[in-house]
Amino acid sequence: MIVTPKILARLAAIAVGGVLLQLSFFSRVELFHVSPDVLPALVVALGLLGGSMTGAGAGFSIGLLVDCLLVQALGATSLVLLGTGYLAGLVRERFEIHGTLAPPLLCAGGTLFAGLAFAAVQLLLGVDAPISGLLARDIALKCVYAFFLGWPIYLGVRRVLRPALVEEPRVRRRRQPTVLGT
Amino acid sequence: MYRKQVRRRRAVLALLIISSFALLTLTYGQRSGGLQRTVSAAFSPVQTVADRALKPARDLVNWFDETFDARGENKRLAEELEAVREQAVAGKAAVGENAELRKLLRLDRTGVLAASAYEPVTGRVIARSPTIWYATVTIDLGEGDGVRVDDPVISGAGLVGRIASVGGGSSQVTLLTDHTSAVTAKVVPQGVQGMIRPEVGDPEDLVLDFIDSSRKVGVGDAVVTAGWRAQDFASLFPPNLPVGEVTKASIDEQVASRQVQVRPYADMRNLDFVQVLTGGSR
Repeated sequence: MIVTPKILARLAAIAVGGVLLQLSFFSRVELFHVSPDVLPALVVALGLLGGSMTGAGAGFSIGLLVDCLLVQALGATSLVLLGTGYLAGLVRERFEIHGTLAPPLLCAGGTLFAGLAFAAVQLLLGVDAPISGLLARDIALKCVYAFFLGWPIYLGVRRVLRPALVEEPRVRRRRQPTVLGT
Repeated sequence: MYRKQVRRRRAVLALLIISSFALLTLTYGQRSGGLQRTVSAAFSPVQTVADRALKPARDLVNWFDETFDARGENKRLAEELEAVREQAVAGKAAVGENAELRKLLRLDRTGVLAASAYEPVTGRVIARSPTIWYATVTIDLGEGDGVRVDDPVISGAGLVGRIASVGGGSSQVTLLTDHTSAVTAKVVPQGVQGMIRPEVGDPEDLVLDFIDSSRKVGVGDAVVTAGWRAQDFASLFPPNLPVGEVTKASIDEQVASRQVQVRPYADMRNLDFVQVLTGGSR
């Protein structure tokens, strides 16, 4: 991805818009008693489109903004989303991603990673209260929601960042010539 | 050239990771810092606008969830109504008797809060934490509204939590279901005291811990704040604020673990308006 000041502004707008939408909308709606978390999916989309450094930087910034707005311990969400974005970027750099199912699957995978990593960070920091088994259900359902929301998020981010993307030309499969008379 | 690029990328990644750990080390367990206050104050008006603009869409999605829930809840509520009706008849007699006694003692005040110095201020919830590990919400009340750190927060149904930090135009509320939350409470009418703590991952369940196992608690008993006071120290919460009702109280659990399960009266997942009890004696 070619990062110019204009593109940086677009990235910032995506990050702020995504965080506001998460805190004011997605965190406050529930389906089957679980709220969707679109931030890991957003970071995965940015990593897939911009590479590991863009993913890591975006993850760190989005996490920092969330921690600031919710007055939580600074750094926890940044660390988790940084890792999520970096891994998504690595996937893009190491493997050829084709197929329409790849972005939503990776968004679900990124959400699973973020959920487990956040749990690990919290447990390392120390949690006095008992932990319910419903936490597993929460993480699992968040992954399902991320799968369904992953595709529109990926398409939306790709549309906003289109001028900066170095798109590889699609290899069109040539049709075999029809041989008559055989 | 390629090596240089790789080295630079690794350095940026290392810097970001170190920054995260440094922030975590410096700010964990601390009250809100300058950066958080500034960012929170700057975004508060935008969050309020976003909250209002997205309310219809939120209500639509929540309608599906609530409709699904309502089917199962209908039967349970019908049974509960039967039991409550019987209790209400008995309660009416008790209220009359209580009023007579209060008149005699010149304590004729109504409501839980009337006897205290608290001044309720109503606010709107404008944001909510996306992770279950932090059960916090942001409300549109700040220092100018008289809100201070540790002020109790209630909804129409009961205790919701307490103020964790206050900014210019917004405040953060730590809900009862947050893992850092702990409230001294008692079961009425038995008077068994304990500590209300959350169960991380389950917003519909609280644990009343450290209870006196010699006095039995039953399912359906109400749990209210204890509101203790000892010399210069006092609970952050006024006494007798409704917290929830006992949902599971097996003899084994009470004797062995000295705890019972409590369902909060307030629906922590769907909070739109809350009241902050400001001006309490602290």
